Amino acid sequence: MDVKYINPFINATINTMETMMGLSIEPKPPYTKDKLQTQGDISGVIGFAEKNVSGSVVLSFPEETALKLYAALTGDKVFQITRDVEDSIGELTNIVAGGAKTVLAAQGLTFNISIPSVIVGKNHTINTKIDSPIIVIPFQFDRLRFVMEVTMKVDL
Amino acid sequence: MKILVVDDSATMRRIVENNLKTSGFEDIVQATNGVEALANMAGIELVLTDWNMPVMDGLSLVKEIRSNPTFANVPIVMITTEGAKEEVIQALKEGVNDYIVKPFTKQVLLEKIEKVLEG
Repeated sequence: MDVKYINPFINATINTMETMMGLSIEPKPPYTKDKLQTQGDISGVIGFAEKNVSGSVVLSFPEETALKLYAALTGDKVFQITRDVEDSIGELTNIVAGGAKTVLAAQGLTFNISIPSVIVGKNHTINTKIDSPIIVIPFQFDRLRFVMEVTMKVDL
Repeated sequence: MKILVVDDSATMRRIVENNLKTSGFEDIVQATNGVEALANMAGIELVLTDWNMPVMDGLSLVKEIRSNPTFANVPIVMITTEGAKEEVIQALKEGVNDYIVKPFTKQVLLEKIEKVLEG
């Protein structure tokens, strides 16, 4: 997968966290994933498709990170993952995917994105039918971490 | 001023409402889609709506508002992840007064509101 397709997702994540929450997050070196299990307790998933483009983006958070982001977004402090926290992770994933979609469209790669799905649970897995490597980009802010997983198949 | 905030995400409705209330806008009504929004249009002086929503999306909501003589002149700001130039043009053609691409800051939200209310 060409790095030019990954960078818009990384930049959209940094921009979303900075703009909506004033958080300065740092991307760590990416790697490819060889198993279905995610690293988080809650994941937002968005698929994208067009006749020559298919893929998905996942934002996966440990519970502590998700609760901190929810508090930063809404001003509410909660102590466990609630429906509202799930909604916030779905919306963050939606904003990141939308931001990347806009940048890629300007480069001539257009596709539609799905509405976000949110999966909750320790050691949950997310299966993908896309025959393309899954690139994992870890992010860190303060002492908290989360990961983004992107897979994209482009037939030009 | 009575403001209608339309978004299927409770988080986004909350963010917008927090930003409005801390800026002196107290009378806020929320709706989760276009159908709910139309049912709550009475007395609304400004609509802030998402684009992609289930049941009735934001663009259809804009068309409905603009074709209803009672509400046709109510200012509408679209707040959406749809940031491509063609999408902005399409929304403006349908009658949106201004357009905010998510993510956004409180400052941008207030500037756009001020602009459409002055206009």
